[in-house]
Amino acid sequence: MVFLREGLCPGLSEEMIEALRSKDIRTVEDLVSSDTEELAQTCSMSYKALVAVRRVLLAQHTAFPVSGADLYDELLSSTAILSTGNASLDKLLDTGLYTGELTELAGCPGSGKTQVCFGVAANLSCELKQRVLFIDTSGGLSATRLLQMIKAKTSSMEEQMEALQRIQVAQAFDVFSLLECLHNLRSGGFQQVSAGGGVLKAVIVDSVTAVLSHILGGKQSEGMSLMIQVAGELRTIAKDLNVAVLVTNHVTKDGNGILKAGLGLSWSHVPRTRILLKRVEKPSPACCSLRTATLVKSSRQPCHLTQEIDLKSWGETEDELPGPSGKRKLMDEDPREA
Amino acid sequence: MSHGHSRAAESGSQVRNPLKRKLLARLEGKRSLENIEPRIFPEDGGPVKGDVVELHGGEGTGKTEALYHLVARCILPEASGGLEVEVVFVDTDYHLDALRLVSVLERRLPAGADQTVKASLARLYVIHCSSAVQLLLTLHYLEGLFCSRPSLSALILDSVSAFYWVDRANGGDSLALQESNLRKCTKILERLLRDFGIVVFATTHAIMRNYASKVDDNDSSSSHRRWSSAHTDLSKAYLCRAWQGVVTHRVYFSKGDAAEGGRQVFSVMSSCSRTKTTRRCSFHVTDGGVHFL
Repeated sequence: MVFLREGLCPGLSEEMIEALRSKDIRTVEDLVSSDTEELAQTCSMSYKALVAVRRVLLAQHTAFPVSGADLYDELLSSTAILSTGNASLDKLLDTGLYTGELTELAGCPGSGKTQVCFGVAANLSCELKQRVLFIDTSGGLSATRLLQMIKAKTSSMEEQMEALQRIQVAQAFDVFSLLECLHNLRSGGFQQVSAGGGVLKAVIVDSVTAVLSHILGGKQSEGMSLMIQVAGELRTIAKDLNVAVLVTNHVTKDGNGILKAGLGLSWSHVPRTRILLKRVEKPSPACCSLRTATLVKSSRQPCHLTQEIDLKSWGETEDELPGPSGKRKLMDEDPREA
Repeated sequence: MSHGHSRAAESGSQVRNPLKRKLLARLEGKRSLENIEPRIFPEDGGPVKGDVVELHGGEGTGKTEALYHLVARCILPEASGGLEVEVVFVDTDYHLDALRLVSVLERRLPAGADQTVKASLARLYVIHCSSAVQLLLTLHYLEGLFCSRPSLSALILDSVSAFYWVDRANGGDSLALQESNLRKCTKILERLLRDFGIVVFATTHAIMRNYASKVDDNDSSSSHRRWSSAHTDLSKAYLCRAWQGVVTHRVYFSKGDAAEGGRQVFSVMSSCSRTKTTRRCSFHVTDGGVHFL
């Protein structure tokens, strides 16, 4: 809603605003929706001036059409596919996270959502040398674990520090600070702090559920409205800043006991791609880092593709670590996959 | 964004006489979209000038793929089985994947027809809207665009329910205020439909459950009944009455329970209020887009 005020556009004078207000026209929408001819007569204003003002206001506030051909060219030149650093996950995502899109990881507690987020962040900052914004809403961010993952990729202390510097962390423990954080990002607030070089290529929100789930429910609609606003901000950021957005979500069971992503029907339309993470139920403690990832929503790949992923592929939790390539190879040849 | 368009649109909006506008639109002989997809719409019930088609379905039920199919059919040249008309795509969900659309187009053209793909894409105008007010103002702006480009035959709104919750919360306790944005949008849409004889395709997300039909489901034991209620479970119409009033075709999308032969089957039920006819069909999604069964 944009209120009519002096200086909003050339030709919109104080007298004009007063006259319009007397006809209960206070906002740009009111003015644009009303019949200009009739308005000019009842307010005894110049029809020409009113048409001019309407046209300028419309041009200022409308969204402009882009030709499909231009849009495609722009996409071709700007879209990047960011590898997650895990071959199986990349396979599910059709080679990686796409910039301009929103991808969701859904899973139970302990299904490895946060670990995957860490892994993606570490791979982007260390291998691809790009910047990542990690929005932590649940206090689950562990710098030690991130460093472990980075250490698995490079042994140079300097590179490790640079990689860590490329991961910016923002904490937002309620929906309002999350929205503020996203607003800041959109208006360029985070761009200035660019130690370590690289451009911002990914925004990770771990998790959206932590700030959204408790405001939903009951007969109120404010919570839904806030959730849709968060979704809108995330999608706008993905498109306007050309970054990949990765969010995590919890799961619920539907009537048939099948796991589905949380936050309800309205949220279910938001992500472009959704991956469901599950623990592999095996008695042996040796494979406690194995998870299955199932593609449940995608516009590129057939759904219900399943891959087994090893959280260790981004780096061991123990002290001594083999090189990343050795680890990757080990996972690819994992006999348990067959 | 090209400056040519905005200038053309501005000069177009100067034609204020509705009669003159109607003549302008009519003189150009707008192409009919009646045969846009006979497999989806009932016989003799295809969308004609001034119709509003609502595509309704839950998440992942193939709405977006169906939209790509319809867009491709509109913008492809006649020689390649298209209608060769221009389309405005208003994307309020930021969901349009141009890369995907291009792969759908490419599959319908002979190999190496890059120029044809380009020319087809040039018939598509994409607008991203991030708020209900922006949507309303954009629809007003489109009045000029439709006037200056008579070959624009279809307007796609994906989706019209995007701002439902925000509007509802902003409206407070008053239902009239909650619905005012969509009502205003509907009003201007009605004008566009009447003056320019376009066809509107709008998606609405299934975000409300029809609990009443669920109860029916438990009561009735007939398998047919269960089938139909399972498929209309999410069909609750929640948008304002003004919007319901302009819709002439309803197309419901649903997902089959299990993937058959490795492919997910999507089913579609469409009804046309003008001829009171319905049609069912099903499709699966391939690399080249919608493939009807």
